[in-house]
Amino acid sequence: QVSVLYFARSAELAGLRSETLSVPRQITSLQLWEEIVKAHPRLAVIRDQVVFAVRQEYVLLGDQLLILQPGDEVAIIPPISGG
Amino acid sequence: MDESEDVPKDFIKLKSAKLSVDEVSELVVSPNCGAVSLFIGTTRNNFEGKKVIHLEYEAYTSMAETEIKKICRDVRQKWPSVKHIAVHHRLGVVPITEASVIIAVSSPHRAESLEAVMYCINTLKASVPIWKKEIYEDEYSWKENKECFWANSEK
Repeated sequence: QVSVLYFARSAELAGLRSETLSVPRQITSLQLWEEIVKAHPRLAVIRDQVVFAVRQEYVLLGDQLLILQPGDEVAIIPPISGG
Repeated sequence: MDESEDVPKDFIKLKSAKLSVDEVSELVVSPNCGAVSLFIGTTRNNFEGKKVIHLEYEAYTSMAETEIKKICRDVRQKWPSVKHIAVHHRLGVVPITEASVIIAVSSPHRAESLEAVMYCINTLKASVPIWKKEIYEDEYSWKENKECFWANSEK
């Protein structure tokens, strides 16, 4: 069970800022995205513009294998615009 | 102030209250530094012909602070003579002409602090999870920094 955090446009599309999600301990970042889109189909439109932050490290959507621990934070990161 | 306590420090703050240039510069002033360099990011009132009413910022706060700390660490590696670094970023609503970010760096001589300030703002725009929403008269837009490598600028 991981904590998924939504920000900016992804929070608007998902309609929430955070939730817990049950996912396999080992999963690729792309598979994780697909699990999240199953729960929130409106997120599909931003697939090409987001990355994840897993335990506060950026991860691209792709084949990268994630080893997740219970309580890990996974954040959806749309293109940033700080400063 | 006890001068032996003047060890290099990073002052990082994300807050919704109005930012103060005086406060941020005073944080980095140091007796053995001859230079304090500052960058202030202010809100413009227009974008592509549209009138901007105000900006709204949100952040993944814990990660943003961690990423800014990484930037400070990089600055100290590149410019070892840098003394203090302060990065204050405003969150929530920022009215036009008010500051959304203030960066101050002190160093013994001016070259290092000037270069370090530029590095800080450029890297912040590329790596710190903070988002800006521009509010126009009848719509809004989530902005995307061109420095952000996962934004599709040519869509």
